[in-house]
Amino acid sequence: MPSTDMAADEERRLRVRRSALIWALIAAAFYIGFIVLSLLRGAK
Amino acid sequence: MAEVLTHAEHDDHDHKPHGWRRWVYATNHKDIGTMYLIFACTMFFIGGGAAMLIRLELFQPGLQFFDPQFFNSLTTMHALIMIFGAVMPGWTGLANWMIPMQVGAPDMALPRLNNLSFWILPFAFTLLIGSFFVPGGAPAGGWTMYPPLILQTGAAFPMLIFSIHLMGASSILGAINVIVTIMNMRAPGITLLRMPLFVWTWLITAYLLIAVMPVLAGAVTMLLTDHFFGTTFFTAAGGGDPVMFQHIFWFFGHPEVYILILPAFGIVSEVIPTFSRKPLFGYEAMVYATASIAFLSFIVWAHHMFTVGMPLAAQLFFMLSTMLIAVPTGVKVFNWTTTMWKGSLSFEPPMLFALAFLFLFTIGGFSGLMLAIVPADYQYQDTYFVVAHFHYVLVPGAIFGMMAGVYYWLPKWTGNMYDLKLAKWHFWLSTIFVNVLFFPQHFLGLAGMPRRIPDYAVQFTDWNMVSSIGGFGFGLSQLLFPYIIWKCVRGGERVGNRAWEGAHGLEWELPSPPPYHSWTTPPSDAVIARGAEH
Repeated sequence: MPSTDMAADEERRLRVRRSALIWALIAAAFYIGFIVLSLLRGAK
Repeated sequence: MAEVLTHAEHDDHDHKPHGWRRWVYATNHKDIGTMYLIFACTMFFIGGGAAMLIRLELFQPGLQFFDPQFFNSLTTMHALIMIFGAVMPGWTGLANWMIPMQVGAPDMALPRLNNLSFWILPFAFTLLIGSFFVPGGAPAGGWTMYPPLILQTGAAFPMLIFSIHLMGASSILGAINVIVTIMNMRAPGITLLRMPLFVWTWLITAYLLIAVMPVLAGAVTMLLTDHFFGTTFFTAAGGGDPVMFQHIFWFFGHPEVYILILPAFGIVSEVIPTFSRKPLFGYEAMVYATASIAFLSFIVWAHHMFTVGMPLAAQLFFMLSTMLIAVPTGVKVFNWTTTMWKGSLSFEPPMLFALAFLFLFTIGGFSGLMLAIVPADYQYQDTYFVVAHFHYVLVPGAIFGMMAGVYYWLPKWTGNMYDLKLAKWHFWLSTIFVNVLFFPQHFLGLAGMPRRIPDYAVQFTDWNMVSSIGGFGFGLSQLLFPYIIWKCVRGGERVGNRAWEGAHGLEWELPSPPPYHSWTTPPSDAVIARGAEH
């Protein structure tokens, strides 16, 4: 079945973008958050 | 509508860039997968070279070739290169090649991010391996980087920390790509519980990566600030606690072990049904067992640190939670065995490697259970028994799993069948020598030989010689692997879409070799139904 449904394509593109952004934010929050948290805690 | 058809037609043509641009600007999942696999293979031989030097020095007692500092650098770098350079990129390479084909997608969801996550790696490892050539030599404090020892590293220290950050960033980007691809790019009809086990295990691995790589990043950043900025996170004199590092490190380190092994579980779950000509026994149980193992991996970390000292309740908790992992792992071993039960078995190279995985990984699992017992661990800690244990898990476990995967899918990738006879030679030499190499290390450990030493008492000589002979044999027999692949890429007997008669899965519905863009149109319901039989 050829992918001819532009609306579905567009919807999937949005879904990929949203999902990528959410996961990037989670990963960045973990990555930066853990470093900052440990440094702040160490500075006390 | 016209635009869409034009787009579809456009996709039908490869339009792949040529020359160096194809690789440097690569966004195609197969090209990036190939680069990952070549990179992993290169690192496997560099890390393996370090292992050969280690076994050379340990062939007999006394200091033969290297001073102790360089020996310690060899053990440290061997581990870092094998874990972060060979096994993890190897799995990412296989994920890149196979996940889009197995879920009915044209490519990974985020192709440019994919390019970035690969190209970070050569810089990271140039930095890491380059540390051999700076004053003070390469890091020698062990891959676990325990302070205060690791803080004595010379000019290589910031190179080590920066390279680990780069590797972590690369892994996280790769993991994001895998999750987004699996969650959004599956063809209609490929529900989560119709995904192949390799895709499932990689999805769970990707979650683990996102959860634990930042922990390692935090730990090494604290080391960095302790070294350069006067903090005392891990320095007792300043109110810090070196044991804290061990807790943080192993909170990353134990899930890391499962990051290395879960994709092998997925491959074995694909290979055994194919060569047993039976569906996988207990598909859903396999998925839940994988998820359980991943969950449990977060609550067992301190079993690496029993001898450091901890309250009795903590010892009991970590001992019992570690033993609990044997339950889902046992489910898996049971299901693989039951899949073969009354199957029409044949023993092509992927199946041979999968069977060796099954037996030898289980040996590693059993010695792991022995190490989980607190009073026994007091005896085994820091001996060659531990070395034997984790090498049984990682070499005939992760590496053999990867080899099973490469031998399984190589005909699909190239359209050619490889030299089966040579691949069987590769299997038998690897399997015999890996046991000659690592099994005697159990005896050495039980007899009290400490790990990470360049010299040893004379009573350990015989088994060390045997182990070294096994090491040289294993190392040399691995040269067959790239030769078999190279020969297959250059030509061989042509194979059809379904290179193995018993193979099921969407990848086997594509031509061999598959088109440059895998599924430009989603597979039909009939194709999915045929391919998604587990």
